[in-house]
Amino acid sequence: MTNIFSIDWYFISLLFFIGLSCILISKNMFKQLIGLEIMSKACLLAVILSGAATNNVNLAQAIAISMILIEAIVITVGLSILIKIYKTTGSLDLRKLL
Amino acid sequence: MTISLLAYLLIPLFSAVLIQFTSRYKKNLADIIANITLFAGFLNISHLIFNTAKTAKFSLPPMAQDTFTLLMIFMIYMVALAVSSFSSGFLTEEKNRHHFHSLILVSVSAMCGIVTAGDFFTLYIFVEALAITSLALIAFDKSKKGLKGAIKYFFLNFSGSLFILLAMAILLFTIGTFSFAGIQHLTDPAYGGHWPFQVVAAIILLLSGFLIKSGIFPFHIQTVAAKQGAYSPVSAFMAGTVTKIAGVYAVIKIAIIFNFFDLKLHEISETLMLIGAISILFGAAFAMRQKDFKKMLAYSSISQTGYIILAAGLATPLALLGAIFHIFNHASFKTILFLNEAGLKKNLNTSDMEKMGGLARSMPWTSWSFVIAFMSAAGLPPLSGFWSKFIIIIALWQGGAKGYAMMAIGASVLTLIHFIILQRKVFFGKISAIAKNAQEMPLPMLAPIIVLCIVILVSGILFPYFYACLIETGIKAIL
Repeated sequence: MTNIFSIDWYFISLLFFIGLSCILISKNMFKQLIGLEIMSKACLLAVILSGAATNNVNLAQAIAISMILIEAIVITVGLSILIKIYKTTGSLDLRKLL
Repeated sequence: MTISLLAYLLIPLFSAVLIQFTSRYKKNLADIIANITLFAGFLNISHLIFNTAKTAKFSLPPMAQDTFTLLMIFMIYMVALAVSSFSSGFLTEEKNRHHFHSLILVSVSAMCGIVTAGDFFTLYIFVEALAITSLALIAFDKSKKGLKGAIKYFFLNFSGSLFILLAMAILLFTIGTFSFAGIQHLTDPAYGGHWPFQVVAAIILLLSGFLIKSGIFPFHIQTVAAKQGAYSPVSAFMAGTVTKIAGVYAVIKIAIIFNFFDLKLHEISETLMLIGAISILFGAAFAMRQKDFKKMLAYSSISQTGYIILAAGLATPLALLGAIFHIFNHASFKTILFLNEAGLKKNLNTSDMEKMGGLARSMPWTSWSFVIAFMSAAGLPPLSGFWSKFIIIIALWQGGAKGYAMMAIGASVLTLIHFIILQRKVFFGKISAIAKNAQEMPLPMLAPIIVLCIVILVSGILFPYFYACLIETGIKAIL
């Protein structure tokens, strides 16, 4: 049982760092936004996993649903800023904005 | 979250919705509703804070009794009231003024949520709400600079929140709870006296998330860009409360909850102190080199945040008291400095310090309030900033970090020097071309600045009274 969970933690941290490196390396803001999403999916999995492992599924479910809600709002706000940037500068390249 | 303090959260939220419905065509109504809401809240919380002994007899829940929360709510309402009253004079040409006031009210409510939260998940939700509203406030300025600040703020802040979430998952996995009371219960010496390494990893993740949000040295890029890009009253609001509540408050809370002082967490404590010390020196040194008024204030804000983080890292009761009091003082003087900058920018259409000079004659009130604020920032004796820095330095000396104590004294001299340079360039000295046509700010813009100056003076001179009040009610409840 514990063995399975440690494998899960491995994949969660892998997913988290894929997202983080996507934010750090990519120069396109849209790709960075996708990286942010990947990171938040890793966190979602981590919360569900901890809930399942500690027999505390109700709490984990409540947290996961609130997280999905917050994520949706964050992505909406981020996309709206990206649209505004695209309208003013004509591209989504980070180097052109800075 | 406590029932009695919920009103401070819900009433601004209600007013924010009300403004959207009522003031689309009557813009002045938005000013009036926002100011009345904040003023009522401010009166209410000041009554509560000065009569803690009386109100404690009623059935206030245990969380509300700690003065930390009450002082933070007082500070939030004070700064928000100053900013919103200033903006009703500042944003006269802005078409979407009602959105601005709505956003300020929503972020006030989110900040009250943060300081009354009882577990990390509630804290996280309100931190996200605050980040979204402040992002909208930064992007309110439609220039390229505003967007640049907003996008930097967006990516750094929200990846910071994900670190916090991961830490929460680890806490849930290892100790099965993330409520403050539950964790504090576990830290009782009877439990074992030290944390397993998973919890230490969670603490590191939590701290890195909140340090990103507080905009301290390695992550300063977002706050500097955001403050430079945003409208000036928004910068005052950001520097005074938003970054302090979203980041620094949580760092202090973590230091209290996980009990850095008693348990064996020397490594984390030392790292936090090192980060604080670096950002004190870095902020002061960079502030000296800036040509732009606003950028200089932003860097000086980093330096002041460093003091708070330094004290929070030490985490003795005295240091925590100093850190809490310094948050309050920083809010009062930094708001004055940024609002003065806003007034100058509105008047002169520039924030380049080289072009200004000799403004003291045409704008005496602005000039002298600026003097009071920067003297408090540098920690000169009769003012409130002196006391908090004094407490922090004494706590550092007692805690054995004598090198840091000496450095803190040296850095406050640096702060004084860079503000004196600024004062000489902008307000004194040769009268420049643009200074001849400058006029004093109108009364609605000047009033909040003067009130905040009075707060600085009074809380500095009557400090022994406040100290007794804080010690009696606050620290006993916290520790």
